[in-house]
Amino acid sequence: MSSSLKKFLVTRILLTIPMVLIMITLVFFIMRVLPGDPIRSQLGPRVSEEQADRLRERLGLNDPILVQYGNYLKDMLTFNFGNALTRGERPIREELGEKLPATLELSIPAMLIAVALGIGLGAFSAKNRKKPVDYGIRLFSIFIYSIPIFFLGLIFQIIFGVRLNLLPLSGRMDPILLTTFESKTNFYIIDSILSQNWAALKSTLLHLILPSLTLGLSLTGVFIRLTRVNMIEMIKSDFITAGRARGISETQLIYKHSLRNTFIPILTMIGLQMALLIAGAVLTETTFSWPGMGRYLVDRIALRDYTAVQSTIGVFAFFVAIISLVMDILYALVDPRIRY
Amino acid sequence: MEKEILAEIKDLSVTYPTRIGSVSAVDHVNFNIYKGEILGLVGESGCGKSTLGKALLRMIDPPGEISNGKIVFRGENIMEYDYNHLRDFRGRHVSMIFQDPMTSLNPVQRVDEHLIETIQVHEPQTKEDSALQRSKVMIERLGIGIERLYSYPHQLSGGMRQRVMTGIGLILNADLIIADEATTSLDVIVEAKLADQLREIRDEFGVSLLLITHNIALVAEMADRIAVMYAGHLVEIGDIYKIFEEPKHPYTQGLLASVPNIRFDTNEHLYKMPGEPPNLTHPPLGCRFHPRCPHAMPICSQREPLLVEIEEGWSVHCWLYQEQSS
Amino acid sequence: MNSQKEKQNDSVPEWQLELDKVGFVRRLFLARKWYKGDWWFVLISAILLIFIILVGIFPQWFAPYDPREEVGPSLLKPGEKTPGFMLLTNIADNVGSFQDIAGASNKIGYIMGSQATQAFRDSLDILNAQSQQEGAGLMYQPRGYRYETAQQGLDALQAGEIDGFIVAESELGDLLADYPGIQFLEEIRSSKAESFILGTNQLGQDILSRIIWGTRIALIVGLSSALISFVIGVPLGLFSGFIGGKIDRFLTMIMDSLYAFPGLILAIAIASVLGAGMGNIIVAIAVIYVPTYFRVVRGQTLTVKNELYVEAARSLGTNMMTILTKYIFPNVLPSVVIIFSVNVADAILTEAGLSFIGLGLPPDTPDWGIDLARGQDYLRSAWWLITFPGGMVSLVTLAFSMLGESLSEILNPRLSEL
Repeated sequence: MSSSLKKFLVTRILLTIPMVLIMITLVFFIMRVLPGDPIRSQLGPRVSEEQADRLRERLGLNDPILVQYGNYLKDMLTFNFGNALTRGERPIREELGEKLPATLELSIPAMLIAVALGIGLGAFSAKNRKKPVDYGIRLFSIFIYSIPIFFLGLIFQIIFGVRLNLLPLSGRMDPILLTTFESKTNFYIIDSILSQNWAALKSTLLHLILPSLTLGLSLTGVFIRLTRVNMIEMIKSDFITAGRARGISETQLIYKHSLRNTFIPILTMIGLQMALLIAGAVLTETTFSWPGMGRYLVDRIALRDYTAVQSTIGVFAFFVAIISLVMDILYALVDPRIRY
Repeated sequence: MEKEILAEIKDLSVTYPTRIGSVSAVDHVNFNIYKGEILGLVGESGCGKSTLGKALLRMIDPPGEISNGKIVFRGENIMEYDYNHLRDFRGRHVSMIFQDPMTSLNPVQRVDEHLIETIQVHEPQTKEDSALQRSKVMIERLGIGIERLYSYPHQLSGGMRQRVMTGIGLILNADLIIADEATTSLDVIVEAKLADQLREIRDEFGVSLLLITHNIALVAEMADRIAVMYAGHLVEIGDIYKIFEEPKHPYTQGLLASVPNIRFDTNEHLYKMPGEPPNLTHPPLGCRFHPRCPHAMPICSQREPLLVEIEEGWSVHCWLYQEQSS
Repeated sequence: MNSQKEKQNDSVPEWQLELDKVGFVRRLFLARKWYKGDWWFVLISAILLIFIILVGIFPQWFAPYDPREEVGPSLLKPGEKTPGFMLLTNIADNVGSFQDIAGASNKIGYIMGSQATQAFRDSLDILNAQSQQEGAGLMYQPRGYRYETAQQGLDALQAGEIDGFIVAESELGDLLADYPGIQFLEEIRSSKAESFILGTNQLGQDILSRIIWGTRIALIVGLSSALISFVIGVPLGLFSGFIGGKIDRFLTMIMDSLYAFPGLILAIAIASVLGAGMGNIIVAIAVIYVPTYFRVVRGQTLTVKNELYVEAARSLGTNMMTILTKYIFPNVLPSVVIIFSVNVADAILTEAGLSFIGLGLPPDTPDWGIDLARGQDYLRSAWWLITFPGGMVSLVTLAFSMLGESLSEILNPRLSEL
């Protein structure tokens, strides 16, 4: 490993720390400093002030704001979120530990769909710039971007679930199979393969198709645009002209020289699109009753369980920071200008 | 001395459609390139000299096109080549060095990958290691350390990158290298070094060099012949010494008089040519230089002169040197 | 080539003078040839937007009904006729209209569980409203009698137990032929119209009216949140980029973190703390867009700041405000316009998303997201509940993002050189 790469990685990792801190602080600011009383709104108007005060005391909300902030930071950084205030009052860490795999099992295939489709179509569009097919692909990308993700999901449900009756409408697995299904990792695909439960695997995969397609397609539009713009700039660049001048074929120029260079900015952009992916996951999970973190967040908001909400959002912040760190490291490994 | 003709450019025109009309960036240009010579092609920016260079490889980006004329290279008209033939022609017979050495090499490919790729594109049967061997030989002949072969472009200096580009051009024994402002972005000392090296390469490999530049001093230093372009027209072409001694075309005269002289004792002011180059979407009628020409005559604004040979190997595109016959 | 302004009069070509003479409109039209598809994209989205904005400003011109009013039977398919009901009376009673047998002492029969109940009440409401308007002070309130089958009702009518019987044609069948003393008096409708173009929702509200009024909500939220982000993000980006140093680094770090944070989640957090309401939603959405403006404006400011003409102006002692407003802002403007248009689109999407998960506006608001969330419960039976509001969100977002996308293709200097 060269020294410049080492230096890059160290600075990048060091930069992640303030980013996480700022994000978590932001959550704190929103949840506790903004006007609005979460305890009141959770308990409802009928509960006496005394009871509300007891709950506040228990959660340390009567402490000075800086003390609260210190405790909050300590809890967040040690992943010690405490217990949920509602519905079973289980430790939040445990609950999120079950929900996170579900979200990942939905997001990873969705990301793959988006990247494959987005880069493929984007490159093709750039190659045929200003031709009808370019306008067609761009129109598709704008169109797919404009459809609210939950609406796309609902349309898929109506078409494939209700009308054609091909695919299940919601959930991660057939409820009947689920009663006997034992999950260790909470990744149902992994679990069913490990236990060689092929019926469960089939059911899981069938349940996965619509949600992951919905989430994937909604991200595709962005990827098409990003790939296209970057490719166009790349195609214009001098080394492509120089390559043409020494007799390299157009196809090779596009798919070998341009695309390889375009991957570098695209990798960083995948990192930045994480925010979009998570926002999409929340809505997709709500639409398809997918028991992941997004659905959990929405449920807990409805129950006004503010400890659970605060912790879930905090975990999302961690998630984003770590993914963008990973993407940047990958980026450094791909780009020789940083590697050496 | 009877020189062997390498390429003949006959009546070549390049037009670009733009949002305000079509532009004839190169307009009915005729000239020859001889084997082993260095031909300097000079003119102001926008006069069409770079376009001409690209047209020789048929690399005009759409929507631009070569609208007229032919390019005969070693007896073959390359305008008739199909795509694959043309692709093989590029790089094998003619190669090009571009202005910006920072960007004309693929940033994610090493130097050896560039060289090997070029060999294998044209000679697919060549094995990787023999291609590498040839690359090593080429790199050494260009005076680049062999260890540089495994460097990425960003690790090389500007001058070194241009030498690598030249090496890529030479590795298949090209007959003609087009250097499009190849030295412009280098600093003076590196530029001089590269110029020297290009001349050595010419002597050693016997290639022809088409040196496209606006740097007249560089042309004076290197070239055997000079071709002057103005607004898409080739206005004067001939032996460098003769033209520098006694330029015929009024534009060439103005151009040479505008070059600062390094001697301090000259008290004379630099010549300032009046006017601006014309907009090529609607060029002036007749000779395109006539609005700025100190010797303009009535006919100049009516009809275009021909490129007429006034002496052996010296042609001028001006009414001053030809009969005003109909 | 054409950018250079020729000073000398003789060198200005004729055609350029002519181009200067043609009007703005004609030049826009000429641009069609050059920009090809993008020109059409801009045109189509502009027309769409003008229409959408018109609808948003004057929904009452377009909407046939009040969006909150229950105007018809629930879950009526688009274009489906509202079921009509027949009012049957004894010929011998000599009744002229429904009004005559709708007094407090009259008795009207209908089939249990039939939609005739609704039709019956609705027609009474109409009659009462009329009488109130005329100031007659009459209350139409006949007593209702329920029967299990049409036959029982007809028997009762023939026996004179009731004054009228309301029944659907399908329920009646051919029975009428067996009762020669009974006549079909008039048709009674349960709703204000024969049919609804886009159908009705589960509450019997007109979907067309709801999505038209929803346009106003979407535009208010989208435009005002985008405007707030713009007003905060652009100056911050300008100053931060121009001043540089520690303040810049600090601001950039905060904005980058905010940018990386999933926008919807942030909006969810803010909205859940602030509570429902349009103002809160606008604030929540505005916050998540500030970093976008900031990043782009700051980046461009950094570039432009080092351009020679700006350095020249600085070296001449031009003050900072002038440089920012006269030199840098005009360069930043094209990208800001593009972001703004995309931002409005995104804000509308986010608002719909927030409403969809129940964090948006008060539940009776005619809002697309709310309608979508409600329609989800009727997914299996009533596709039109979600298709139309969803289609509207998509259409409005499409118009804004199409404008942004094609403008960026036209204005982006990096791309337009090709």
